[in-house]
Amino acid sequence: MDSFQPEDERWEQAAAGRLAMLRTMPVDTSGLAKALHAQIPQPARRTGTTWLSLRSIGALAASILIAGTLASVFIFITMSRPALASPAQMARMHEELVAGMAPAIQVDSIDAANKVLAGEHPQAPTLPQVPAEHVMACCMKSVKNTRISCLLMKQEGVPVSLMVARSQDMRAPSSPVTVRDDVSYHVQASGGLNMVMTERHDRWVCLIGELPAERLIDVAAQLKF
Amino acid sequence: MDSEAARRRFYEVLWPFMPVVLRTAHILCGGRSADADDLAQETMLKAYRAIEQFRPGTDARAWLLTILRHARVDSLRSTASAEGTLRLDDLPQEPPGRPETSELDRQVVGENPEVLLEQFSDAEMIDALSRLPEEIRWTLLLVDVEGMDHKEAAGVLDVPVGTIKSRAHRGRMMLRDKLLPLARQARIVKD
Repeated sequence: MDSFQPEDERWEQAAAGRLAMLRTMPVDTSGLAKALHAQIPQPARRTGTTWLSLRSIGALAASILIAGTLASVFIFITMSRPALASPAQMARMHEELVAGMAPAIQVDSIDAANKVLAGEHPQAPTLPQVPAEHVMACCMKSVKNTRISCLLMKQEGVPVSLMVARSQDMRAPSSPVTVRDDVSYHVQASGGLNMVMTERHDRWVCLIGELPAERLIDVAAQLKF
Repeated sequence: MDSEAARRRFYEVLWPFMPVVLRTAHILCGGRSADADDLAQETMLKAYRAIEQFRPGTDARAWLLTILRHARVDSLRSTASAEGTLRLDDLPQEPPGRPETSELDRQVVGENPEVLLEQFSDAEMIDALSRLPEEIRWTLLLVDVEGMDHKEAAGVLDVPVGTIKSRAHRGRMMLRDKLLPLARQARIVKD
């Protein structure tokens, strides 16, 4: 007769943990997405067509003129400022990437990732070489119209996201700063995730994962541009 | 619901879970990408056709995985019918009772099963899962891989919560029995 032993319980926990790691396994969704788009066309953007009186057209035109002027001023002000890399937003992007909820392409090297990203957008920020155990997937994200190249990799068996943008387009939030070898690292945490942000070679770089911030800084320090 | 509204709801609500459907299909199909693509595509198309039945505010992932499960059953049925050699009853079923694990196996796994499990690649884990009975595999997919709680998984598989608990336990034990010979073969562990 087989009986339940403490070793069985340890095994159960370990097996559940190992199976949970399959959740971070990247899948190439490009073929499926293409097939589905062919059969289910994406909906058109909402456009309302209504008949308007001449008076309301005049009022509408005036409103558009005022709104346009205000928007131009707003865009002028905001375009000249780099986007703020909010920790909550960065954490959400990482979680979506890990959960496979972001449309990412499976890759096995930085070179392959850069090729995919350049194919997606010619001005995609180039990813630096990184000492990852496994490079898993990449995708392009956008924060306030700023393009960010994202890479999902594994460090010490833990999923870590590397996000890269042009340094003139992104700025780190005010946060504690650690300086190592004359390089400043902004250290943040959000929802159990640690993240470090730094600027190197005209690029804004963010590393996010469940690794301790010190380990993320170790990885950031080894990036080769 | 008109076609435009249906497509809008499909892309807004269900599309974000397409990678989850594909990953689950990939594991169910034992890592065979072409089969997984077909199964995931069938699932997403079925979901689109039935989008009016989806209640906004409910769990879209669970709804899609329920459709995936039905699509998988249909796919197995049609394969069996085409081959004329396999009946659904012929598929590996849940064995009665708990799998037998020898004292030796327990000792081999040792105090740190995590270390042993880290030696297996994702492909090897998927292969081991593919050799488990279908319902056990589904249970481990939902509970351990997707991280659903027992109640959610019970809803997808349409079985009582107690059944999910016992299947999850038995499934992990069966996984050990599948992985240990591989570990011995690769000399990851010694007899």
